[in-house]
Amino acid sequence: MKNIVIGRFVPGKGFLYRMDPRTKIISLVLLMASAFVIRNFTAMFMAIGFMALLLVAGRINIFRVLSGLRPLMYLLAFTFIFQLLFNTQGDLVVAWTLHYSPLNILMVTALVMLWFFTKRHVKFKFFFFLATLVGAVALVANLRLGPAFATGTLDIYESALTTGFFIVMRLMIIVTLSTVLTLTTKPTDLNLGLESVMSPLKVFRIRTEEMAMIISISLRYIPTLLDEANKIMLAQASRGVDFSEGKFKAKIMQIVSLLVPMFIISFKRSDELANAMEARSFVPGQPRTRLHQLTWGLADTAALVVSLLALTAVITTRVVM
Amino acid sequence: MRIIEIDNVSFHYKAGTPVLENVNLNVDKGEWITILGHNGSGKSTLSKLLVGLLRAKQGTIRVANVELSETTVYDIRKKIGIVFQNPDNQFVGVTVRDDIAFGLENLQVPRGEMIERIEQYAQKVDMADFLNKEPHNLSGGQKQRVAIAGILAMETDIIIFDEATSMLDPKGRNTILSMMKQLNDEGVTVINITHDMKESLYGDRIVVLKEGRILKDDTTKVVLADHKTLEKSSLEMLLPLRVLRALEAKKVDNEKVRSYLWQLSLTG
Ligand SMILES: Nc1ncnc2c1ncn2[C@@H]1O[C@H](COP(=O)(O)OP(=O)(O)OP(=O)(O)O)[C@@H](O)[C@H]1O
Ligand SMILES: [Mg+2]
Repeated sequence: MKNIVIGRFVPGKGFLYRMDPRTKIISLVLLMASAFVIRNFTAMFMAIGFMALLLVAGRINIFRVLSGLRPLMYLLAFTFIFQLLFNTQGDLVVAWTLHYSPLNILMVTALVMLWFFTKRHVKFKFFFFLATLVGAVALVANLRLGPAFATGTLDIYESALTTGFFIVMRLMIIVTLSTVLTLTTKPTDLNLGLESVMSPLKVFRIRTEEMAMIISISLRYIPTLLDEANKIMLAQASRGVDFSEGKFKAKIMQIVSLLVPMFIISFKRSDELANAMEARSFVPGQPRTRLHQLTWGLADTAALVVSLLALTAVITTRVVM
Repeated sequence: MRIIEIDNVSFHYKAGTPVLENVNLNVDKGEWITILGHNGSGKSTLSKLLVGLLRAKQGTIRVANVELSETTVYDIRKKIGIVFQNPDNQFVGVTVRDDIAFGLENLQVPRGEMIERIEQYAQKVDMADFLNKEPHNLSGGQKQRVAIAGILAMETDIIIFDEATSMLDPKGRNTILSMMKQLNDEGVTVINITHDMKESLYGDRIVVLKEGRILKDDTTKVVLADHKTLEKSSLEMLLPLRVLRALEAKKVDNEKVRSYLWQLSLTG
């Protein structure tokens, strides 16, 4: 239940931890924009190198970043395969004839069975799955066992590979950057930084302070509500509700039996909380002094300059080349 | 000097079911009054009326000679602090430090002074070692002490404790009570809402509420011995005084015993 908390902060050292959250947020935006603008290989490899450098210099555990990428893998694979199948620009790189014969199909089935029974012993399941898929296709294309009852073609064009590569890298860079931000910034600091970065929006009458207050209260109450949910689940379980299994309909009933009391409790809570806040002289929109203050250092200026340079460099290469 | 004047105040949440009826109550500056009453007698409602979280349907409330109204409510809230019953629902900050800071930020206390006050009042409630802790890592009693520190730090003239000690163990309760005593000695007006008769011993005066009406308003000593009132509002008399009453019923009338039992009950 606890692991649904997104954007986990992990205490650590490293220079990224000491940086002002505002710097990190602005740099994140600049670097993300750069990643989107990149259209050539040299720049992309430099960007990847830059990311690696960032992770190493920031002393960030690479596995945490990878685990941040995990939920994205299927999307990435899908986008890539989509490109391979439907992008038909540029030179033809691969032109395979697919040979559908009973023996070939048998081989593929064997491969799938192998995958199915060994997958639980393999560490990187997703890559294993991809490898099996590629293997199966390669098998059908290159092994001609017995007479075919049908044939097909698989054409892959150059632009499919490059576009696919760029899209995948871009998304990975974006997710890695955001993971780095949330890994190294406490939610409260992140909130403070966001509030400060968004404060120009006040011109448009967007009440950034109140938004920040709402986020901060949500952050404070997430663990409390999770505890509450656990308690309710225990209470319902002791009355015979089984949360572990059941068919679809039973699952819905379980969720309802959790949500209804959760809602009631949350409303009561927020009512009392609002009272307590008002009684402590909180007036929405009124000026307040702040305990937490962000301090801008030399490193922050440097980081911002680097990110800005990256963006300008990428834009100029694109305009020039 | 009068600091709170409640004049003929009535209130209801739903028309037809009055929660408070024609309540008249005056509190002097520096006084410590105890409000006793059964569940649902309207104690919390009264305290919410005092800080303008609810508006009286009838009657007037004056705090420090200012009548409570829509325009004065913000100034009046700066004079009254209130510690609510459930510590979980009044913890605003992400950490203990942030929570104590919340009220000070609202009062626009300068940052330097804020840091000092947080330190000072966290120490006062014995939570100085927990300043960086998050609320879900604290016990109910600890959270309540943080809530109290958050109110004390605001340095208001009046503090209402609405069953603020009901979550605490006997030791925690005694520290809070002696702290309340110290505050009161420093001139803070204390209104303590409680179910615990022993707590009322600290106060100068007891107000007994029953079904939204003031049943009795007298000095602590008088109310504590008034078995009829206590019985009517389903409160239990302190043990030494019960013993005294039983002895009197048996016509055992010994001046020494009487004063000893009184002394026993007053020292808690
Ligand atoms: N928000 C509300 N809406 C409707 N009725 C309410 C509300 N809050 C309280 N009441 C009712 O008003 C009456 C007085 O409630 P109040 O909370 O003031 O009592 P109390 O003396 O503080 O009780 P306790 O000792 O249990 O804290 C009760 O009958 C209660 O049911
Ligand atoms: Mg109450």
